[in-house]
Amino acid sequence: MAERMTFTINGKEQTVDYEPEMMLLDVLREVLNLTGTKHGCDNSTCGTCTVVMDGKAIKSCNTPAAKAAGTSIVTVEGLAKGMELHPIQKAISESGAVQCGFCTPGIVMELYGLLEANPDANEVEMTNALNKHLCRCTGYEPIRDGALIAQTMIKETRK
Amino acid sequence: MMKYKYIGQPYNRPDAISKVTGKAVYLDDVRLPDLLHTAVLRPQFAHALILSVETSEAEKCPGVVKVVTGKDCKFRYGDNIKDLQPMAVTKVRYIGDPVAAVIADTAAHARAALDKIKVEYKPLPVYTDARDAMAKDAALIHEDMDDYWRLPTLKQASGTNIANTYHLVKGRGEEGFDEADVIIEEEFNYPLGSCAAIEPHGTIVWFKEDRTIEVWSTTICPFIIREDLAHSYDVPVSDVRVHTPDLGGCFGYKSDVTTEQTIAWIASFVPGRPVKWVGTREEDFTSTLLAHGIRTKMKMGAKKDGTLVAIKSIIYHTGGAYADTAVNVTIASTHNSTGPYEYKHCDLTGYTVYTNTPAVGAYRGYGHQESQIASERMMDLMARKLGMNPLEFRKKNFLSEGKVNAVGETMWKHNGNLLECANRVEKMVFGKPKPAEDEQFVYGRAMVTVMKSPKGAPFSTKGCYMKMNNDGSVNINMGGAEVGQGLRTVIKQVAAEALKIPPEQIRIYTEIDTQYSPYEWQTIGSMFTTQGGRAIIRAADKLIAGLMSTAAQVLKTDVDYLEYDGEFIFLQNDPTIRVAVADLARGYITSDGITIGDLAQSVSDARLPRYSNPDKNGQGSIGVTYTMGAQGVDLKIEKKSGKVIIDHYYSVFDVGQVINPLQIRGSVLGGVLMSIGAALTEEVVFDKEGRITNPHLFKYHIPTYKEAPVQTIEFVETPDPIGPFGARGIGEHSVIGAAPAILNAIYDAIGVDLFEIPVTPDKVKAALEARKELK
Repeated sequence: MAERMTFTINGKEQTVDYEPEMMLLDVLREVLNLTGTKHGCDNSTCGTCTVVMDGKAIKSCNTPAAKAAGTSIVTVEGLAKGMELHPIQKAISESGAVQCGFCTPGIVMELYGLLEANPDANEVEMTNALNKHLCRCTGYEPIRDGALIAQTMIKETRK
Repeated sequence: MMKYKYIGQPYNRPDAISKVTGKAVYLDDVRLPDLLHTAVLRPQFAHALILSVETSEAEKCPGVVKVVTGKDCKFRYGDNIKDLQPMAVTKVRYIGDPVAAVIADTAAHARAALDKIKVEYKPLPVYTDARDAMAKDAALIHEDMDDYWRLPTLKQASGTNIANTYHLVKGRGEEGFDEADVIIEEEFNYPLGSCAAIEPHGTIVWFKEDRTIEVWSTTICPFIIREDLAHSYDVPVSDVRVHTPDLGGCFGYKSDVTTEQTIAWIASFVPGRPVKWVGTREEDFTSTLLAHGIRTKMKMGAKKDGTLVAIKSIIYHTGGAYADTAVNVTIASTHNSTGPYEYKHCDLTGYTVYTNTPAVGAYRGYGHQESQIASERMMDLMARKLGMNPLEFRKKNFLSEGKVNAVGETMWKHNGNLLECANRVEKMVFGKPKPAEDEQFVYGRAMVTVMKSPKGAPFSTKGCYMKMNNDGSVNINMGGAEVGQGLRTVIKQVAAEALKIPPEQIRIYTEIDTQYSPYEWQTIGSMFTTQGGRAIIRAADKLIAGLMSTAAQVLKTDVDYLEYDGEFIFLQNDPTIRVAVADLARGYITSDGITIGDLAQSVSDARLPRYSNPDKNGQGSIGVTYTMGAQGVDLKIEKKSGKVIIDHYYSVFDVGQVINPLQIRGSVLGGVLMSIGAALTEEVVFDKEGRITNPHLFKYHIPTYKEAPVQTIEFVETPDPIGPFGARGIGEHSVIGAAPAILNAIYDAIGVDLFEIPVTPDKVKAALEARKELK
């Protein structure tokens, strides 16, 4: 491992060693064993590798590891507080949005990036965010349902 | 109608939480000690002799442990035709054929060393379409085809590239056309595609010093892989242990043996250490199974009054470089090419043809959409010729009660109420005015009716093991693969209903592990709910019978005086004399410590009743149970671009009994969108040299969020006698109607007949031009 960097991962500061050609996805999965973030397509088309970096949803499969230095990253493992699911996880798990589940971590993190920053995201913003993700199982309708329920739940907690 | 307590309720899937928290373990998430990684070299040519392979430079690369070739590989494998080898030996037959592999400490090191392997090839002619490979002077892709083991029901055409010909004759076959007043004939194409699950294929194989083999793979048939590897490496089947972790989608191409034999061959060179391979997305296209590749030539004959009399179909199947997995797709496509209609005379032929393309395997729908694109377009074309309403014409010929289908099975009332499905979709599609053409768009709509049989096999059984715990909760273990379809929820609900206990008291297995899991052939053919459900009911009945027998001893009476309600077993004439079911789970322990009766556990299995191989005319009990339904579409064509936009899609299927309304809607929603993708954008494209030009998700376009139409989905419930509580299979059926419905609606919009998919904007643009000429 030729390189070293420090970043915050799911609220905890960590220093990791990595190979220079590694992408952020490789660091998460292979160095840190955070396997919740998935690898689906190699070229940032499918969206399942999405994580939130400094509050913004990004695709970790084409983000060079070095770019993560000094940032704060949240992965799907970082959302639940102990046994308590994040509202997005709760809504997505109950709306029928989960079938095979392989696209799910990316979609959960996309919504986290969107709704944490802007709980009042309008339909266009929601559509544009979800359009960055491929799902082969659900026909997307239950994902939209889950996203809207999550949005309502998040707004409720912020009242 | 019987009322159920748990069947028909929208229970949430037991794996939902592990999947939203990122804790579900998929193949690439499996962590093992001392793991090695492998990368596989693919050829530069789609058909070539291998003259030499030079590996010495690659062996010197950083991290490399071993470089493997196919040299000295003596065995072939395959379930239907043993035409496969784990690694190319003398020639390569398609662009993804494994030629060599590097084993290294990391995947990156393994990949980096691939470039250093030098291979000399002598290129041979390349065929990417069945028609070309069938030409008289075509070079042979498998010179030794006659030497391959194959199922006794299969027959190759020696000296050609035809791996199998399936022929079905019903009635007087082609001669039956002499009874027809009107005959039409057309050819259709459903090109090669990919299941394109979001999780690519991957496999880990570990040859151990104790001569056992342990495997993890993205597979829905761990039991077939176990038998296959045991045969190839000459060990008892019991010494091969195969795990199926959570699966990130299947849709067909994770059935049958795909990459496992290749990775096993590689791993066999480093015994003692596990070796892992996870496909890149490109490899998932080039080196696993493709789908479809079916041209259908169809001739249809009808009487003036609209009675269908004869059909002739010829299926030209671009089966790929190895036909083991394609051959049954061809057969299903051929005998189901009639669609849900009765013909007195059938002459149906299916050719499975070797080509220099990746092997075709299962894809949700399994041959049905590929030939029913033909039958459903032909129904509209024939109706037009007869001057009949296309739906009235269909209704007149439905495979309704008492009719006999192509394989010779009589249809019963319990095969489903297709008429009701059709009437509902008719109202949805045609019960409102059609928008008039405007500046920007021209509008079209159409409906089709479809059917699907399962794909059985003589040993296609599903096992179930059930054990009750000392608190009355129950664990259920089966061999069914959860690919996202929600079978764990189905098991839970069926078992709850059968055992009369709440679903919350039932825990379903997570991974499949052939060491513990009850046998299952493979989780295919929309059969899990039907067969697995039956197995669950049988196991529950046995479990309850065991409890009753123990209770009879405890309560000092006879079994037939007792009743079971899930919580207690009690005397019918005096319910106060009772014993708690939980107290019987480990046998009943009396106050003096003497235990009466057996552990509350049971084993069962179920298959399709009297499923049989086809006879010499291609007929037999090879469908057994069918699900039928109707689908319709409202679409618009953007005149400037030729883009087809699906506004609304309608589906009504007779599923016998809805087990879970949330899941069944999800299944149809997803299936419909997949098939719209196939109809509008998806095609695996080859250049003349047999290279795939679009092996990436940004080039092979699967539907996105913005492209998903509004869907109306309803179910008719005519109970089925085989499935649990009347339920029938529905996993694949939703994909069948989209292609012909869309093509028929395009005709409705612009009066131009199209015969192949995908209907990309350029093709529709050309059709719009043709329409101008017609005017």
